[in-house]
Amino acid sequence: MINYIIRRLMIMPITLFGMTILIFLMLWILGPSARSALYVSDIPKNEAVMKGIITKYGLDDPIYVQYWSWLVGRPDPDKPGETIGGILRGDFGYSRTFSRPVMELIQLRFPATLELTLYAFLPIILVGVWLGVQAAVRHNQWIDQIARLFSIVGYSFPVFVLGILLMMIFYAQLRWFPVERISDWVKMADYTKYTSLVTVDAILNGRLDIWWDAIRHMVLPIITLSYTSWAAFLRITRSSMLETLRQEYVTTARAKGVAENDVINKHARPNALIPVVTYSGITVAYLLGGVVITETIFNFPGMGSAAANAAGGFDVVTVLAFTLVTGLILILANLIVDILYAMLDPRIRLG
Amino acid sequence: MPEVLAVKDLVTKFYTDTETVHAVNGVSFHVDEAETLGVVGESGCGKSVSMHSLLRLIPIPPGRIESGQAIFQGRDLLRMSPGEIRQVRGAQIGMVFQDPMTSLNPVITIEKQVAEPLLIHRGMTNAEARTRVVELLTHVGIPCPEKRLADYPHQFSGGMRQRVMIAMALACSPSLLIADEPTTALDVTIQAQFVELVKKLRDDFQMSIIWITHDLGVIAGIAQRVAVMYAGFIVEHATVKELYANPQHPYTRGLLGSLPRLDETRSVRLVNIKGLPPDMCQPPVGCPFVPRCPYAFDHCKAENPPLASVNNGHTSACWWDIDLGKPRG
Repeated sequence: MINYIIRRLMIMPITLFGMTILIFLMLWILGPSARSALYVSDIPKNEAVMKGIITKYGLDDPIYVQYWSWLVGRPDPDKPGETIGGILRGDFGYSRTFSRPVMELIQLRFPATLELTLYAFLPIILVGVWLGVQAAVRHNQWIDQIARLFSIVGYSFPVFVLGILLMMIFYAQLRWFPVERISDWVKMADYTKYTSLVTVDAILNGRLDIWWDAIRHMVLPIITLSYTSWAAFLRITRSSMLETLRQEYVTTARAKGVAENDVINKHARPNALIPVVTYSGITVAYLLGGVVITETIFNFPGMGSAAANAAGGFDVVTVLAFTLVTGLILILANLIVDILYAMLDPRIRLG
Repeated sequence: MPEVLAVKDLVTKFYTDTETVHAVNGVSFHVDEAETLGVVGESGCGKSVSMHSLLRLIPIPPGRIESGQAIFQGRDLLRMSPGEIRQVRGAQIGMVFQDPMTSLNPVITIEKQVAEPLLIHRGMTNAEARTRVVELLTHVGIPCPEKRLADYPHQFSGGMRQRVMIAMALACSPSLLIADEPTTALDVTIQAQFVELVKKLRDDFQMSIIWITHDLGVIAGIAQRVAVMYAGFIVEHATVKELYANPQHPYTRGLLGSLPRLDETRSVRLVNIKGLPPDMCQPPVGCPFVPRCPYAFDHCKAENPPLASVNNGHTSACWWDIDLGKPRG
């Protein structure tokens, strides 16, 4: 297992390198003036001034020189001895749309997205995997029919349609959830940000009212974000479990006198989950895409809505920083998926 | 010899949306203590389904055991509660399946899989079970079993996996072993080794065996009695010697005729049985072998022949008396 993880980790730098190359190429295609946002806070309209900036920050240098500067930074022409830029230093440039360094924006917005996504995973695992197993075990019974109906609706429903529909029903008609912004009380004096995850911090601060408020703000975005994914998980778990239950080793287990619950949970499910785990890597990518739409619809203060705003303002460095973070998460998620995969399947681990 | 298992008029059907598959159509047989019964027949003749029905391992739905009884140690397996039948499975009746590549769980270690019946039925602790697993694996001829406990099925060859399977089936020293084509997926040399192993185990464990196969050669080597199945019926039943010396049913004759023999001095052309097995979705009327039978006459289409005694313990389900060359009177 440790050998496998080490082997797997050794591939990581190559993947990361590939990702940075791709993202930098996007910056390259957009031309030197778009890249100037990496180093200066406002992009001048005046062509002559722009030319000056391009020369000053080496934005017309050969591609490999610029790639290196973008990666590790370059000497600051204004402050001798200091470095400017460099994504490895956490300097992603300056966001025009939000009038602050991109890194600050990420620090501000990322926790909300993380929180939303983490909570979205709960229904995916619980409803998707658990219900998928139940549906397969009770094949063609009512629980299976209902699960199938929900999953067909789920994966044929575009995220934005679902989001708007939920908003119409629960905000506009039923008024079950508050409309005002979530962040008002975060600025309170006696409120400490331990983790920046509101629901966690609220409990750590002993403020259940804040916790409840945060939950109420997140319920609909969570449903919107996760519905498609848990529907897909349900479908995959169900079909994988049905397939596994037909395997001969399941009959072997029954022939040994294993109780039906153990046949399902100990013998069938670990096998059935192998393809499900593989799929969860794709789900992370899907969720990160869904985050942009969901946050925009619900005006949720996360990375996704920030990226959408930035894209609207052609704020290239912000969008690409979002891309980079998203890419990093994906690479990490795939690492976790591969490790889980190996934990579940000895043929991968030892093969 | 006292009977270990007596099966009477077992009928199993499968109900699909559009059709009913008549898989087992009233099968009766018995197994004596420490005896091996061979069940022979081609694919789809209902031999596996019959044995799976005994332990109630067929999927319900679509399957259904319609009628019959299976008296095992004084109790009817077919009328036990799910909890009771679980007590029998793996404890008193062990089962080995056809394909060792698919019948072991790929994600569970050998130790856990073999130990499972011991933990369930014998209430052993993990340490006790481990000792017993090592004993069992040694017994079935796995080299260095202590070192292989933590291994997974994919680290074993086909023959070794089948040995693991049988160790698992024998873990609780069952009085009956049902072997469902255990040698079909093995190559010939491994087959021979495996048959020898099972013979040795049969004597060591003093158990009865039901050996399902379509290989008459294997049966000759291990069984005392043979039941020949065709289209969900037992069509002939005799001791091994009697069956090979004096086959009565045209189907049995066909099977034996299609078997290559190494001791034949002249080269003889192998004869195949013409035609295909009947459509099991049609309810059986008349003798199911009629379309392929060289001896068939009018009466065969009208009425399905019951198993009739030929001589001392030899029964055959055929209207035609093959020795006399005329319909049975």
